[in-house]
Amino acid sequence: MIVKEWCMYCGECAGLCPRNLIEVRETSLIFHEEGCKDCRICIQICPVEALEK
Amino acid sequence: MIVTDVLVIGAGPAGSSAAKHAALNGAEVLMIDKKSEIGAPKRCGEGVSKEGLKKLRIEPNPRWVTKELSGVRMVSPNGTDVVLDDEKVKLPEAGYILERKVFDKYMAMDAGRAGVQIMIKTLATGIERDGDGIIVYAEHMGYSLKIQTKIVIAADGPESRVGRWAGLKTSMKPKNMESCAQFEMVNVEMEEPDCIEFHFGSVAPGGYAWIFPKGDDIANVGLGILNTVTDKTAYQHLLEFVDQCPATQNAQPVELNIGGDPVGGLIKELLADNILVVGDAAGMVNPLTGGGIASGMTGGLIAGEVAAKAIKNNDWSAKGMEEYKNRCQEEIGDSFKKYLKAKDYMLSLTDEELNTIAEAFRDSDFESINTTELLKKLVKISPKALLKLGKLF
Ligand SMILES: Cc1cc2nc3c(=O)[nH]c(=O)nc-3n(C[C@H](O)[C@H](O)[C@H](O)COP(=O)(O)OP(=O)(O)OC[C@H]3O[C@@H](n4cnc5c(N)ncnc54)[C@H](O)[C@@H]3O)c2cc1C
Repeated sequence: MIVKEWCMYCGECAGLCPRNLIEVRETSLIFHEEGCKDCRICIQICPVEALEK
Repeated sequence: MIVTDVLVIGAGPAGSSAAKHAALNGAEVLMIDKKSEIGAPKRCGEGVSKEGLKKLRIEPNPRWVTKELSGVRMVSPNGTDVVLDDEKVKLPEAGYILERKVFDKYMAMDAGRAGVQIMIKTLATGIERDGDGIIVYAEHMGYSLKIQTKIVIAADGPESRVGRWAGLKTSMKPKNMESCAQFEMVNVEMEEPDCIEFHFGSVAPGGYAWIFPKGDDIANVGLGILNTVTDKTAYQHLLEFVDQCPATQNAQPVELNIGGDPVGGLIKELLADNILVVGDAAGMVNPLTGGGIASGMTGGLIAGEVAAKAIKNNDWSAKGMEEYKNRCQEEIGDSFKKYLKAKDYMLSLTDEELNTIAEAFRDSDFESINTTELLKKLVKISPKALLKLGKLF
């Protein structure tokens, strides 16, 4: 997952990730991509389009 | 290894309330938050009801109240407005606009004064069951920590992961998560500067837009949308709203806030052995208004009291803490069911229906209107809108 520079770490993606794979730190996002099923919910719901596969 | 009775993960309003009440009732409490500054950045329009604070026995403090409100202005898509005055109509959400960055810190300070240990810049990264307790793995300034606790209170907000680590089904669905974007702005020219303002209709698909005054010409201008009913992002809708709204024609942003607001009602599983889930993480957000400060803190109060009692009784199994679920349902969940229906009704209305309703009610004397008259009026102006209402109840 590419996290764009303007991500604000609001965590909406983490709350909606069906597999609980996104770790929101104060100024970074960590994707545990090994379990990702490519549902792309995180990309669709980001309020500022900061995520890209 | 750090050892405690109760570990609260997340120092938002729900976590601080839980921690404070657990400590006041005799438990040893540690509260951690990943942030370096509690309350910042805010993810909030900052409106809170007077009633909500009163119930929590929290005295309004001029250091965190920026504005006292006297009513609500509701605006339909064509700009027709209905103003409800707090003196005439009892409005559950009318109250104060806060400075959340200060409020959240004050709530954490109250917890600290009650005896809670607080660690900031401390991120929980996982949990593991350990006999009849729990080990929480955390990171603090580059160091790995292990925290041994009897009870974890998961107050980790809308990005919640802790409940799921414990096997609870706390994940939200996109149809239940408002995606929000907000500017704090200056030069805002409000028609009713003492009222909070809601704008309904296609301006914010699946939600509404708001202008919450913070005193002088400052206001939070924001909106929440459902991604399931629009292809645009919350931020794009916000830019369009600010561009079109008469109050923001000369306004300038000084802050951008974004975030999710879980509006699907209380989650089904609020607790498990050793775990209580509170606040946004538990869906303690009014589904109609999106407000979660007062309800989250109410959930926190209940969680704190139940956790302390469980420690005293030496029983922190789900069964031993069952009271938590029942009290949350009674004090928070039951009223949410009514608000969920009201929200579904609001969202079923087209822009035209909203305009007709606003025009009909524009000059109504809400003080003397009762439910029958309200329905009579609705059937006259829009039988279709009434039919939609009927289907929901
Ligand atoms: C744009 C917007 C506008 C809103 N407007 C209003 C409003 O006007 N009025 C209202 O009442 N409500 C409003 N809400 C909702 C309100 O902000 C929330 O309901 C409220 O903040 C919930 O409090 P909380 O304590 O549950 O969670 P939060 O305030 O989100 O606090 C959670 C805390 O947990 C911490 N955390 C998360 N994960 C970890 C971890 N792994 N380890 C350590 N710490 C962690 C976070 O850093 C955070 O400090 C709004 C929400 C949004 C998004």
